[in-house]
Amino acid sequence: MPPNSDQLAGSPEPGASSLPPPVPAGRIRAWWPRVRASMRTTPTRVWALSILCALTITGLFGSATVTLNQARDGLHVLGRDAGPQAMATTELYLSLAEMDASVADVLLMGTDHDLGSGRQAALDRYDTSRTEANAALLQAASLTEGDTVEELNVQAVLDGMGAYDQKVSEARLLNDEAQAPPGEVDPEALEAYREATQLMHTELMPKAFNLGLDSSAIVRANHEAGQSSVALGLVWVGVVGAATVAALIGLQLYLRVRFRRRFNAPLLAATAGTVVLTLGVILALNSSGTHQSEARNEGLAAAMALARAGAIATDMQADQSRYLADEDLADNYQQVYLERAQQVLFRPASTLTDYYEAVGEVPDAYPELPGSNGEDPDDPGTLGYLGESAQDSLLQGEEDSLAEVLTAYSALQEEDQRMRAAAESGDLAGAIDIRMGVADTEDGVFRVYTDALGGLIELHRDAFTAGIERGDAVLSPWSWGLPVGALVLFALVVAGVRPRLAEYR
Amino acid sequence: MWFRHRRGVAAAALGSVVVMALSACSGERAESLVDADSLTIGVKADQPGLGLDEGGELVGFDVDVANYVAAHLGIDEVEFVPITSAEREEKLVSGEVDMVVATYSITPARKTEVTFGGPYYVAKQDILVRADEEEVASVRDLEGRSVCQGAGSNSANRITDGLGIDVRELQEAESYSACIERLSDGTVDAVSTDNLILAGFLAEDPDSFRFVNNPFTDEKYGVGLPHGDVAACEAVNKAISEMYQDGTAAGLLEEWFGETDLEVVESVPQFEGCD
Repeated sequence: MPPNSDQLAGSPEPGASSLPPPVPAGRIRAWWPRVRASMRTTPTRVWALSILCALTITGLFGSATVTLNQARDGLHVLGRDAGPQAMATTELYLSLAEMDASVADVLLMGTDHDLGSGRQAALDRYDTSRTEANAALLQAASLTEGDTVEELNVQAVLDGMGAYDQKVSEARLLNDEAQAPPGEVDPEALEAYREATQLMHTELMPKAFNLGLDSSAIVRANHEAGQSSVALGLVWVGVVGAATVAALIGLQLYLRVRFRRRFNAPLLAATAGTVVLTLGVILALNSSGTHQSEARNEGLAAAMALARAGAIATDMQADQSRYLADEDLADNYQQVYLERAQQVLFRPASTLTDYYEAVGEVPDAYPELPGSNGEDPDDPGTLGYLGESAQDSLLQGEEDSLAEVLTAYSALQEEDQRMRAAAESGDLAGAIDIRMGVADTEDGVFRVYTDALGGLIELHRDAFTAGIERGDAVLSPWSWGLPVGALVLFALVVAGVRPRLAEYR
Repeated sequence: MWFRHRRGVAAAALGSVVVMALSACSGERAESLVDADSLTIGVKADQPGLGLDEGGELVGFDVDVANYVAAHLGIDEVEFVPITSAEREEKLVSGEVDMVVATYSITPARKTEVTFGGPYYVAKQDILVRADEEEVASVRDLEGRSVCQGAGSNSANRITDGLGIDVRELQEAESYSACIERLSDGTVDAVSTDNLILAGFLAEDPDSFRFVNNPFTDEKYGVGLPHGDVAACEAVNKAISEMYQDGTAAGLLEEWFGETDLEVVESVPQFEGCD
């Protein structure tokens, strides 16, 4: 027999009080007595509490769906769009550096078309890099769309590439017409090349490099905005989940007091189910966020930093050709070589001789990094793109790959030392031989270095793909688990309340 | 009694879920200069053309660049304080200044303590000689001559050790203005350091000296920021890109160094990267 509902009429029902919709005060005054009057009977109170439970379950479903979708979108934008585009933009700089390197090699070779891997290979490399640069620019254009500063940069690089093309064709033509022997670039051709490489290094490459950095910035901003909206969503899921649990407990307590039944099994199950669903969604979002961060940091960001190490090294080894081809500016090119080398792998050294020695120690000491114990206040450690990559190496198999890269880089410096020694002793032909050997596309030491670096970059790219896939895999069961879970909760609430309401028919 | 107890449990459950959800988003946002309302910027006070105390007001190329960048970060309230080369890291790390724009070269060692926006200009090491000096056309001609460098500077070593040039005498003065005085009275044959610094002195007295105009190193002048403030670094880079695109950079270089024969680069430098 149902208890007398008047017993509790004086005290307001905690669940029912949240029912009236927010309406202007005047209307509340008109509505409130009627709502209160209609809440006097037990069935209406059971109904009201049940509806509250249904509403909070719907809210839980809604907030979880929205947040899961945000997390999924974040993963897809990083994994399919912004990430690969940023990587492509980073390669724009490499393509430009390769173009300028090929031209320097062709001019240095002069009439001897068979030096190193030959003149034709260098010309082909120029065309390939030119095409790749165009493709990378298109990627950059689509990634930076709507950002005026970047769009202007993309346009400036596009325009500059046309002007550069013209100048290097002129240089090549003049050098061919003059039948310049190896190492003795025709003065007019050299003048044209100086203008071209000046244009490349002051106008094109800085903007290209900055575009690559901008794309990293865009990825970072996207990633952080995504992560913080997911974090906000998590709070909502938690709050609504807790409210659902509170509503379900409230309903059970009311039934217990009114109907003198100790337990309501379906409602208990619904409460437990809500806790499981809420915690499940929160844990899944958390772990997918962790995977996404790993994909960005250990995958994409590390791969892009290493790609920069490759691009700057490409420009650095081209400084060898410039050093040999342009006697007047040889000192400058030698200094610039050292500066670029320091960007790739830094060890404290103010001269190339000191640098060769310091860099030679790195592969021998690895996985220890010279200077990183902080004992010497004048030695900040092993830095630069490769040094920093070695400091943070976390991926499996990375250590072996890095050791290979460091060894190859050190070999590159040994060849450089031999080349400069030959040039300084007046053996230009010998120096050119060494230089063209370094640049040989088949087995040159630079090729060995780029191959080793490529392997290392591939490891990070794999980590990127794997992180995105894992993040997705954690979320995917919830695309059916969430609606099914919500339906089960509804069914349990109905099953728990229906027999009680039936007592009043 | 029992009722109240259960309510407590429910409240505890709710609380713990909220805490879990909140903990998921902790550690996401660090403070950034991007959100600051005011900035204290360290600039040089003794470097003509770059940062110089003129009757209590700090003026120069660096000051103008800092103002442009601050305006692009949306910060109106900017205070400039004088800073010396030796103080730059320390004051930035301690938070005494928020930003340093003071002929601050980006180096791998400094990058371990400071995050650098920019560079906003890439200066080159060059040589200043007296205007009537006719025999020095390149750095190699310093062989057998005397060179002055400021205390603590590495500039002249690059000529002697780096390029293996045998100079007659290496003088060290307490500052570059002292070097310029010695050059003026003939105690020394050449002064070598960043061309932007030399241009600042030259602009004060354009008829007495001339550049050799044979730049041989890159000195990347960066905007020093608190270590790890990536968002500010990216915003600074964007501001610098715009400064070059809208012609402000060219205008400022002309304003401060236009009277000299310095060959300025009016195209945006290659940035260092923020992480």
